[in-house]
Amino acid sequence: MKGMFKELRSNGWYYLMALPGLLYFLVFCYLPLPGILIAFKDYNFKDGIFGSPWAGLQNFAFYFHGDYAWRTTFNTLFINANYIVFGTVIAVGFAILLNEIRKSFFRRTYQSLMFLPYFFSAVVVGNFVYLMFSSKYGLVNQLRDLLRLAPVDWYSAPGYWVAILVGVYVWKNTGYAVILYLATIVGIDDELYEAAALDGANRWQSIRHITLPLLVPTITIVTLLAVGKIFYGDFQTIYSIVGDNGLLYETTDVIDTYVFRAVKNVGDISMPAAVGLYQSVCGFLFVLGCNWAVKKINNDNALF
Amino acid sequence: MHIQKRRYSFSQVLFHLIAVAFCAFTTIPFILTIMVSVSGESSVIKHGYSLFPDTFSWDAYRLIFSGDEIWRGYMVSVTVMAIGTGAGLLLSAMLAHTMARQKVRYRNGIALFIFITMIFNAGLVPWYIFVTKYLHLKDTLAALILPMLINPFHVFLIRNYFKSLPPALLESAEMEGAGPLYVFAKIMLPLSAPIIATVALFYSLAYWNDWGLALWLIDDRKLYPLQFILFKIQSMINYMSTQGNLVSGSQTLPSETAQMAMVLVTIGPIILVYPFIQRYFVKGIMIGAVKG
Repeated sequence: MKGMFKELRSNGWYYLMALPGLLYFLVFCYLPLPGILIAFKDYNFKDGIFGSPWAGLQNFAFYFHGDYAWRTTFNTLFINANYIVFGTVIAVGFAILLNEIRKSFFRRTYQSLMFLPYFFSAVVVGNFVYLMFSSKYGLVNQLRDLLRLAPVDWYSAPGYWVAILVGVYVWKNTGYAVILYLATIVGIDDELYEAAALDGANRWQSIRHITLPLLVPTITIVTLLAVGKIFYGDFQTIYSIVGDNGLLYETTDVIDTYVFRAVKNVGDISMPAAVGLYQSVCGFLFVLGCNWAVKKINNDNALF
Repeated sequence: MHIQKRRYSFSQVLFHLIAVAFCAFTTIPFILTIMVSVSGESSVIKHGYSLFPDTFSWDAYRLIFSGDEIWRGYMVSVTVMAIGTGAGLLLSAMLAHTMARQKVRYRNGIALFIFITMIFNAGLVPWYIFVTKYLHLKDTLAALILPMLINPFHVFLIRNYFKSLPPALLESAEMEGAGPLYVFAKIMLPLSAPIIATVALFYSLAYWNDWGLALWLIDDRKLYPLQFILFKIQSMINYMSTQGNLVSGSQTLPSETAQMAMVLVTIGPIILVYPFIQRYFVKGIMIGAVKG
């Protein structure tokens, strides 16, 4: 206690400088924590968190006994898993490809154009998707028309939307990931390639036996970090594309959109709180698991 | 040798073709938006969205700028971005400054306090109840700023950068009696200009593009940020398109071209600065990549 007092006296200014930031985290991240109780209560606005009557596990039962638990959980995991697989493969491919392009002017131009979509908000992305897939005026149906294929009413056909969402994800995030992987590739020692060339290896062989193996640690870390977040749906993108279009929920409704609708459209509080808690706990376990895996592979890259 | 060389240039051509195709994929929606926004409404209705419209018109822009909603949206978005970025950056850098100093005994405790928020949260509902019922942020400008004021990831990014500066610099300044505030403002910040610029841009972009906070916390039309106005227009049109042809041809609808003009109005500022700021983002991503 005395040591703490002394520490505060000698480094007081430092703690004072950290104080506003710490208050932010206290207020916006820690003080809402008691609200977790809402998941076990029959919440009403008048009695608040502590005054509302207890409901036991009823809120969880409602979610897990319906079809929604399975559907939203599956969609969340399935869409994210596809994001991870396609996002990684395509980004690694383009990082290697850009690295092979010899004229730096072209390399930089391609990189800039690929990175551009990263800067657009999810709402703008939703608009772009509408430009492509609107059944009346959209570009995709015009192309189908050119190829003499029947137009598709995309916004009422749930079967296509996982593929479309993955396409949107690749479109938006490849540029970012390419920069990440290029940073690793550029860091590879040139002598390795020179030695390989002396042994008669061509470009493809160098890529297969030098670039790819040296990319594996970065790929592993990036993938595991993404897996750690797999329980969190891509709310902003999905909601701006699908919105309240119930025809597409079957394949696109994730935990986050379900929670949002339950609160904002239905006005329910307790049941979505229970769903949110289920998501937070699963998400937390996934992060711990992935961090454990990262540690096994390479301790330096572990988060904690 | 001859064959080797030809195969090599063939692969260069192939690489360029693939890269150009992908760049077309990433840019076409944007170019299409521009073209539709300057198309005549009649040519959209006749031929659909087209990269080569047969009639041109500025009507869409005249329509959306005729009301004051866009101007107000701009004001809200710019205010939120300026205050949010300034305050968020300052608080993040001050936190990082304290966490980076060896002699601050509880620096790791502070880091842990922040880190925990990155891996566990109460979920959206407790957050929503707390922010609306206890902080009374609903329908205030603060609701668009405070909840995303500090991004813990950026705090750690700045801290790592501060840590990499030579400690001798700070120690000699402190020997001469400079306090932590002076060291922060006169030594740390100027020496860390690249990372500070990068984080400032990340914050600006996050504020400019955000509409999630407005979705949860803003009902008052006067406080709609630009992105949220666009979202409202878009969800109305999406809703109508699922209702079949009930409303096709109706003149009361916000026109197709106006919607695209609205998209351009919200991304215009980003496109204008993109060529200049892009390299800072690239640098930020690379620093983040190296540091994990």
